[in-house]
Amino acid sequence: MIFRAIFFSLLWTVSQVTAKSLTGSRLLVALEDADIKESYSKFFGDLESRGYTVDIQSPKNDKLSLFQHGERAYDHVIIFPPKAKAYGPALTPQKLVEFTSKDGNILLLTSPFGTPEQARELARELDIDLPPRDFLAVDHFNYDTVSASEKHDVILVQRPPPSKSAQNYFSGKEGDVIAFRGTGHTLGNRPLLFPVLPAARTAYTYDTKEDFAYAEEPWSAGTQMHYVTAVQLRNNARVVVSGSAEMFSNEFFDMEVQAPNGQATKTANQEFAKEITQWAFQESGVVKVIAVRHYLSNQTDAPINPNVYRVKNDITYEIELSEWATDKWIPFTVPPNDSLQLEYTMLDPYYRLPLLPSTITEDSTVYSTSFKAPDQHGIFAFRVNYKRPFVTYVDEKYTVTLRHFAHDEYTRSWDISAAWVWIAGIAVTIAGWVVFCMLWLYSAPTETSVKKTQ
Amino acid sequence: MSLDAFLKDESTRNLRSLLKAVILITIAGAAVSSRLFSVIRFESIIHEFDPWFNFRASKYLVQNDFYSFWDWFDDRTWYPLGRVTGGTLYPGLMVTSGIIYHILRFLTFPVDIRNICVMLAPAFSGLTALATYLFTKEMKDDAAGLLAAAFIGIAPGYISRSVAGSYDNEAIAIFLLMFTFYLWIKALKLGSAFWGALCALFYFYMVAAWGGYVFITNMIPLHAFVLVLMGRFSARLYVAYCSWYALGTLASMQIPFVGFLPIRSSEHMAALGVFGLLQIVAFVDYVRSQVPSKQFQSLLRSFIVVAFILSSAALVLLTVSGTIAPWSGRFYSLWDTGYAKIHIPIIASVSEHQPTAWPAFFFDLEMLIWLFPAGVYMCFRTLADEHVFVIIYGIMASYFAGVMVRLMLTLTPVVCVAAAIALSNILDVYTNLEKPDPAVVAAAKAAEEKEEKKSGLLNAARGTVVGIYATGSKLTVVGAFTFYLFLFVLHCTWVTSNAYSSPSVVLASRLPDGSQHIIDDYREAYYWLRKNTPYDAKIMSWWDYGYQIGGMADRTTLVDNNTWNNTHIATVGKAMASREEVSYPILRKHDVDYVLVIFGGLLGYSGDDINKFLWMIRIAEGVWPDEVKEREFFTSRGEYRVDDGATETMKNSLMYKMSYYNYNTLFPAGQAQDRVRGVKLPAVGPTLNTLEEAFTSENWIVRIYKVKDLDNLGRDHASAAAFESGKKKRKSKAGKAKGARKLRIV
Repeated sequence: MIFRAIFFSLLWTVSQVTAKSLTGSRLLVALEDADIKESYSKFFGDLESRGYTVDIQSPKNDKLSLFQHGERAYDHVIIFPPKAKAYGPALTPQKLVEFTSKDGNILLLTSPFGTPEQARELARELDIDLPPRDFLAVDHFNYDTVSASEKHDVILVQRPPPSKSAQNYFSGKEGDVIAFRGTGHTLGNRPLLFPVLPAARTAYTYDTKEDFAYAEEPWSAGTQMHYVTAVQLRNNARVVVSGSAEMFSNEFFDMEVQAPNGQATKTANQEFAKEITQWAFQESGVVKVIAVRHYLSNQTDAPINPNVYRVKNDITYEIELSEWATDKWIPFTVPPNDSLQLEYTMLDPYYRLPLLPSTITEDSTVYSTSFKAPDQHGIFAFRVNYKRPFVTYVDEKYTVTLRHFAHDEYTRSWDISAAWVWIAGIAVTIAGWVVFCMLWLYSAPTETSVKKTQ
Repeated sequence: MSLDAFLKDESTRNLRSLLKAVILITIAGAAVSSRLFSVIRFESIIHEFDPWFNFRASKYLVQNDFYSFWDWFDDRTWYPLGRVTGGTLYPGLMVTSGIIYHILRFLTFPVDIRNICVMLAPAFSGLTALATYLFTKEMKDDAAGLLAAAFIGIAPGYISRSVAGSYDNEAIAIFLLMFTFYLWIKALKLGSAFWGALCALFYFYMVAAWGGYVFITNMIPLHAFVLVLMGRFSARLYVAYCSWYALGTLASMQIPFVGFLPIRSSEHMAALGVFGLLQIVAFVDYVRSQVPSKQFQSLLRSFIVVAFILSSAALVLLTVSGTIAPWSGRFYSLWDTGYAKIHIPIIASVSEHQPTAWPAFFFDLEMLIWLFPAGVYMCFRTLADEHVFVIIYGIMASYFAGVMVRLMLTLTPVVCVAAAIALSNILDVYTNLEKPDPAVVAAAKAAEEKEEKKSGLLNAARGTVVGIYATGSKLTVVGAFTFYLFLFVLHCTWVTSNAYSSPSVVLASRLPDGSQHIIDDYREAYYWLRKNTPYDAKIMSWWDYGYQIGGMADRTTLVDNNTWNNTHIATVGKAMASREEVSYPILRKHDVDYVLVIFGGLLGYSGDDINKFLWMIRIAEGVWPDEVKEREFFTSRGEYRVDDGATETMKNSLMYKMSYYNYNTLFPAGQAQDRVRGVKLPAVGPTLNTLEEAFTSENWIVRIYKVKDLDNLGRDHASAAAFESGKKKRKSKAGKAKGARKLRIV
């Protein structure tokens, strides 16, 4: 126990020094078969070189636990497909979900023949459907002619091209291919799912045990099928599900592949593995809000972030965003075809305004906009709800009170030209009354014997 | 020296004044002390619902200055709409206690504002006694005045709204009502613009204090109108009315909440109309006195008729075109008691807006209720201008009190006045010790006997034994009435101490051994909210508890007793009446953090939310008739049930689930019992997925639920809960090979 404590405290100190991940560097690799370790040495070496303390444990280990004293014992977990039919008591789906709810990140690797039911259960909670055991993905048009000329199961996946409306953490160069051997999975419609490697139109997954029926009734096919999928949970914890563990092995890293009617190239698997772990373990795609400021526009010494505004005030709103680029904070830039927007909302948005970069500092961008508050009092919220694939969810909501005009804030009557008629009317009435009184007082009655009325 | 001489003689005038002062002070003392039961029984605490808002507003007033109170935008109620509180309340009450507070501070009495608020109603009841004395004195004499003061001092009909802690607008409004009426009578009697202006001043105070000022706005014109119809138009009436109307209307328009209503709403049109009518009548009167021509008079008369028709037509036209606001719903419900139930459930849902049950009259007024007609009859006998007022007031108030329980309050003063007149008349006759001159009596007797020869049994007995002047009859009548008066005092004290002194925030019950047991669930729960939730937490509850949550827990509420926005209330009703899946987005949209429900099932407390639930459903149905249907909460046989026979809609509604969640764990299996509805509950209690129980008070009266955040994995709450408990259904093996057939829409 003491050793363990020392070990963890050591781990902790190390993680403080060299972490490239923002949430920590304690990485658990659940790997049952120690022999396989060697075949993934490049993958692990890569992680270690980035500052992770890789702790390779068998999931069967009784002492293994994701938590210690109610806190996370690891920051990230990579789960390899086990030999046995289950992961063991430390890695039940419930524990893994709890791990993510405590901001832990998971890279879940599956394989056609070693995926336990627990992995399927966990994936199902994420709205991902993993195929049953012994199901394999093939593509008869994009396969490696060198290693799988018969079975067509080493699929060559094109990386998606760079996009102008999203962040390009996984888009590769022209001609980059990734070798993949494993299963495809299908996704539900949950907005938290971001496909990383979708299958080509010609790929499908079939049951290897029923060789005859496969082409007629594939389990899943075409673009509905995915090889690698990223999930960013609402608390920004990240889970990546890969249909193949092998694609991260030394073999696949060094593989020379050749598509049918293509040229021989080296796979981009190593680069992809780096990118996917960078994203999964919070090294890329992490955006933080440094500050939110709102104040009255046309006032030089206006207080910052007051609680109350008045209707029809001119308000300026600023939000300062920064992005983590593996080792330092850099200004966050919104993709050209995308827009960061501010909602000024009470139940429903009254305004939805684009926020434009106003100043760019060394490590952050200030996005701002100015507008006139609506003529409706109430409790409004400044809300920036920026949820994009692969980027930390930015959901900033600040409520402010928008009050009505106070009794002395209206325009005075004499400033309104339409009121002059009425003001003149009052003046004439007063003058008339005075004149009448004078006439009345100074016109003595001619007769003294006026009839008495009451 | 005879009593009569003592009462009339000039030499004893000072003594009499002293005696009157002592009596009035005693009455005021009695009025105040009988209202202190609630403080003695419980504690110095603000009662019920509306007083909590008034108290909170008063605190705001003394903590800030008057102008910030005037411009107060309250962002802690009606989230997220907020309420322009400074412009939508009657500030009279808060300003009154604020002034008292500052005066006491100035005099170096460090009094807590709460104590001022608690004691304000009793203090003003003493003033009401004085105002009633002055008013009745104008009707008859000092003796009647003192009797009326004594009656109003302890009449339960008024005490019900003015016990210590009942810090509501009515607490000062009844004093203002009576004093304004007194000043009106005085102005009318003297034809004095000065008294008319004073009347306007107090009318302004009344407008600032209570929405019931409309009663004065219509009573005085009605009185003037009736006087004109009776041919009693006089310069006095003209001066009194015009000075009151002109000044009073201008003054009342200074209250932001009233604003331009006096010239735009139908409720105020009668006053304006009578004002115009009086000008015409005065003009006609003047011309008539100058031109004694019969043709001309009839011409003028037709002119009046035409003018009246034209002005009414203009009124109708303006109302239809929308320049003048039509009658408000509350006003309609005064004429048609079924109106509110059909069209405005939110008004009908308030218990004090229900028609009065007849025993309530006797309960609240006891012997006064049968002296009241006698007093009105007395007014008819000496029908001076001011007596017409009492008669009209009596008729109108009786009608309104019959329509709405709450308006018993406006009836009570006139009943006290009329009863005092009647009783004082009786006592005048029967306590007169002098006997008439025998010669006169004999003469009268002879004359009478001559008229009706047949000397019946009655006439024979009329002599010395039972006649008015007989000592025996005097003793009997006076004795009887003394007995009635004692009984009245006894009744009033009993009613006050038993029925009207409960703060309703704290409930009292009796233990088997007779000792008092305090049920303090409300404050326990509100205090929990205050101490355990963030300051900006939003609490959703039915609107009844809005003011209390704002006052006691100091947390933001969605709806409260102000009920100014029916749609917002209906939204809360819909959230309560719908399934969790429907309610949860509503709760999220309104940033609700906690939901509070009142549940009386354990204790047998019948004023709980399940019993109020039908009103929530009705109000929600009024806005979303397609989504909430009252019919679906009733069984096919039309029963409102919560047990096994409850409908699915009922069982799935959020209100039902929140009320009965975990309730059956209190009982042995299958024995869960609802003591309010008196039924056995289903063996399996409801499940809640989107809410979690945060707090339940000692007697389960208040239950507070926390609204769960969205699921971290993006699942719906039901499947998340199923997954957590490990009960989630695994996909059937058969479907395995078929694969997932759901499509991801790209």
